[in-house]
Amino acid sequence: MCGIVGYDGRREALPLVAGGLKNLEYRGYDSAGVALCEGDGLVVYKQSGEIDGLELPTDAAATRALGHTRWSTHGRPTDANAHPHTDCTGTVAVVHNGIVENYLDLKAELDGHTFTSETDTEVIAHLVRGALDDGAADLQTAVESVVDRLEGTFALGVVAAGHDGLVAARRDSPLVVGHADDGTFVASDVTAFLEHTREVTYLEDGDVALVRDGTTSVRQHGEPVERERHTVDWEADAAEKGGYAHYMLKEIHEQPRALRQTLSGRIDELNAEAVMDVDLPAAYLDSLEEIQIVAAGTSYHAGLYARRLVEEHADVRVSVEVASEYTFDGGRDPWRTLVVAVSQSGETADTLRAIRRASRAGARTLAVTNTVGSTVTREVDDTVYIRSGPEIGVAATKTFSSQVATLCLLTVALGRQTGAMSAETAGELLANLRGLPGAVQQVLDDEPAIREVAEAYADGEAFFFIGRRLGYPVALEGALKLKEISYDHAEGFPAGELKHGPLAMVTERTPVLAVLTEGARAHETLNNVKEVESRGAPVIGFTSLDGAEKYLDETFWVPALGELEPLVTNVYLQLFAYHVARVNGRAIDKPRNLAKSVTVE
Amino acid sequence: MKAVILAAGEGRRLEPLTEVRPKPMLPVANKPLLEYVVEAAAEAGVDEIVLVVGYKRERIQSHFGDGDDWDVDIDYAVQSKQLGTGHAILQAESRVDGPFLVLNGDRILEPAIIERVLDWEPTDDALLAVTHSNQPSDYGVVEVAGERVQAITEKPPRFATATDIINAGVYRFGDDVFDVLRKTETDGELTVTAALQGLVDDDRVRAIPYDGFWLDVSYLWDYLEVNAEVLDRFGAAVSPTADVHPSCVLADDVAVGADTAIQPNASVLPGTSLGDNVLVEPNAVIANSVVLSDATVEAGAVLRDCIVGENATIGPGSTVEGGPAAVAVERALHEDVRLGGVVGDNASFGGNVTVVPGTVVGTGAVVDGGSVLRGRVPSGAEVRRG
Repeated sequence: MCGIVGYDGRREALPLVAGGLKNLEYRGYDSAGVALCEGDGLVVYKQSGEIDGLELPTDAAATRALGHTRWSTHGRPTDANAHPHTDCTGTVAVVHNGIVENYLDLKAELDGHTFTSETDTEVIAHLVRGALDDGAADLQTAVESVVDRLEGTFALGVVAAGHDGLVAARRDSPLVVGHADDGTFVASDVTAFLEHTREVTYLEDGDVALVRDGTTSVRQHGEPVERERHTVDWEADAAEKGGYAHYMLKEIHEQPRALRQTLSGRIDELNAEAVMDVDLPAAYLDSLEEIQIVAAGTSYHAGLYARRLVEEHADVRVSVEVASEYTFDGGRDPWRTLVVAVSQSGETADTLRAIRRASRAGARTLAVTNTVGSTVTREVDDTVYIRSGPEIGVAATKTFSSQVATLCLLTVALGRQTGAMSAETAGELLANLRGLPGAVQQVLDDEPAIREVAEAYADGEAFFFIGRRLGYPVALEGALKLKEISYDHAEGFPAGELKHGPLAMVTERTPVLAVLTEGARAHETLNNVKEVESRGAPVIGFTSLDGAEKYLDETFWVPALGELEPLVTNVYLQLFAYHVARVNGRAIDKPRNLAKSVTVE
Repeated sequence: MKAVILAAGEGRRLEPLTEVRPKPMLPVANKPLLEYVVEAAAEAGVDEIVLVVGYKRERIQSHFGDGDDWDVDIDYAVQSKQLGTGHAILQAESRVDGPFLVLNGDRILEPAIIERVLDWEPTDDALLAVTHSNQPSDYGVVEVAGERVQAITEKPPRFATATDIINAGVYRFGDDVFDVLRKTETDGELTVTAALQGLVDDDRVRAIPYDGFWLDVSYLWDYLEVNAEVLDRFGAAVSPTADVHPSCVLADDVAVGADTAIQPNASVLPGTSLGDNVLVEPNAVIANSVVLSDATVEAGAVLRDCIVGENATIGPGSTVEGGPAAVAVERALHEDVRLGGVVGDNASFGGNVTVVPGTVVGTGAVVDGGSVLRGRVPSGAEVRRG
């Protein structure tokens, strides 16, 4: 995925666009570029490498510009492949997020044109020039005619010399217009311009918008359409680092506050109910046979956590599917299946595709996401927000905690509505949820101790994370975090699986991290701790079990919190991953080869 | 003009509350002390603030971020070892250019005094706001002749003070102060008053008198008093997201934080602040107390003159009867102070625990039901009944 930002207005555009790119860096950072509209001409600056390395003029009068930060899909990260791309005459500049699937066919048609990059994007610039030369009435009309010929997904920004304004178009990739007092922004994400305006319009699939002189005219298939304005309530400062060395660490420390937001107004202890404002009619729930959770990466692990909670406490069968592998089949009855998409960004292409398949089959769909106005919210029957606030670090931290807390609330809502969950069980889960922010703060206060242990074991050859029941998804998530940001070999296993294979990899150079809490069948996992210990592996244990410390090289005590103890443990694992990566000098907020939400399949 | 706010200190006299947070982050009427200082500075016209942080700085950074909520730019300078307030100011050197203000991060005062020092005529002299105190020996005592400062004595012995004029903790310096600080000789700790003494010797410090309101939390019992006074003075606020059952009694001057739930027939009486996400169960009675965020007060508990730490749990029917007590702090016995008890962060009580006035229970202590507590219970202790 990539980041797009454009500006058309009365201010100097370059610093606004460059600042916007910096804010979008989490969407990709292997190359970057800016096109400035100066007088009747276009000037493009672009190169491979991070945005900070991009050489830009110190002073530019242009009041219209387009910028792009890239995460490569077609063509290596080189200067030539960086966006914006221009046509042969250098009079049309295009930035693009997504994939043009038929670009080879289109390229073949463009006989006589000179291509300077290996990207799919460049054909768009040539086609737009062609449309203008063929007498298109204006730039918006020209882009409309080109978009009709593209197969695949895109968010586009286009400027052309001699044409006022900039044109934006979307199909399946996010694009949002920001209305500031002195001009208009177009960007992949509101964080690009949040410090300048909170008044936004989300473009929808098929929209082609012309932004000019402070007005935005949106068309679908050439017909004008109205798009609502929204006010974004995220604070711009929430997207700055506030004294922390990395966004990831800032976001880890934001968890108590984020969780209080997640839970706000949703806990009703007196009636032992969760107030979720989801429309699931009683008749539908009566006939419900299965919940399918579709998700990717960290969100998938949140789904695995939820599966145990729902199956055991709400008595509904749950399957969790990696979104990119999802198909609606196996003889399921769409009328009796609820498909839940879990996605932080709400833009994850794999998850969107999965939810579209489920909708096509006729199943009811629900999204659990952090992002208001995101694509997934428009594709599903109902949405529940996790309310974590913006997450910039590529490695998801606070959103995992908020996802699990939200899914736990849904479990209570579901179980109480179907009658499968007793008031007593609901009361316990709700008490655990109310206690979650404080317990997480308690772990954060213990950071010096986990930092010390991370530093001591940072040179391990590999790291194995083990746990049972709710401890298993947390083991997977702990390993994923470490992989993502430290590039170390890390694996999560169900503790009982060790002896069926992975135990062969365990040596005195491979620390084992064990989840030994309530909700994770700690007594049984202690036996596996003994197994690895007899192979000489150092064991770092996270426990609430009296006496467990006897078997552990390093012990961290997890506050008593019932079914949510494994989730609290995960905060320790986040800090462990962070400090191992720090000791090893990794680019924690921008791990190599990764981008925050992946909008390609 | 920029303001440098000193917030790196620990505040050991306020243990156990300062074991998990720095003193500037102690909430008074649900707002950290430091937030009053930041607000006063912003109101006085300061738009750029450098927070010098150190001890438990994550708590400060997570609360203030980049300052957008207060319409100021906040930048951080880190003092990794606590080597004194003067050393703290030195950490901000690279972020300051020209004259600047220095403020204490743990004292509540009015914007007027900051504004006065800020707008004082340009001068090469250092400016120092001074005020009166009836306990001058707890502060830096300042001897003044006219506008000139003659001497500063840090925490002199009790009853030996020549005057009741004290350092109000608001300074204005030129950027030459960094050289003065560097040249000041120390015995390990470099205080701002030591550097000021050097300037006093050259007759280069002017006193700016201040008669307004200020509040400082030196000891645990001050905390309750200051909390009650702030509630009284600035009025109280019940968050719109608080969930208060209609049968509850809520006095006028109490503060209730976001998402706090108060269940049937509970009474929250004058002088009380309840933080965010607190749970108060049926029939609990809380008077003149501070209950920090995420704490739970279970059914029928009675808390008077009591401080309950974050995420602590008070078991059902437990009683903190309140009233005057004698409390030992750093080997000095303070008699007849009003402190019903302190329950450290994350501490947990079973049912029917009785707390004798003046008891201080440490962080994370676990107390069996039916226990009677007095004196000091160390952090992490387990109290078994019997």
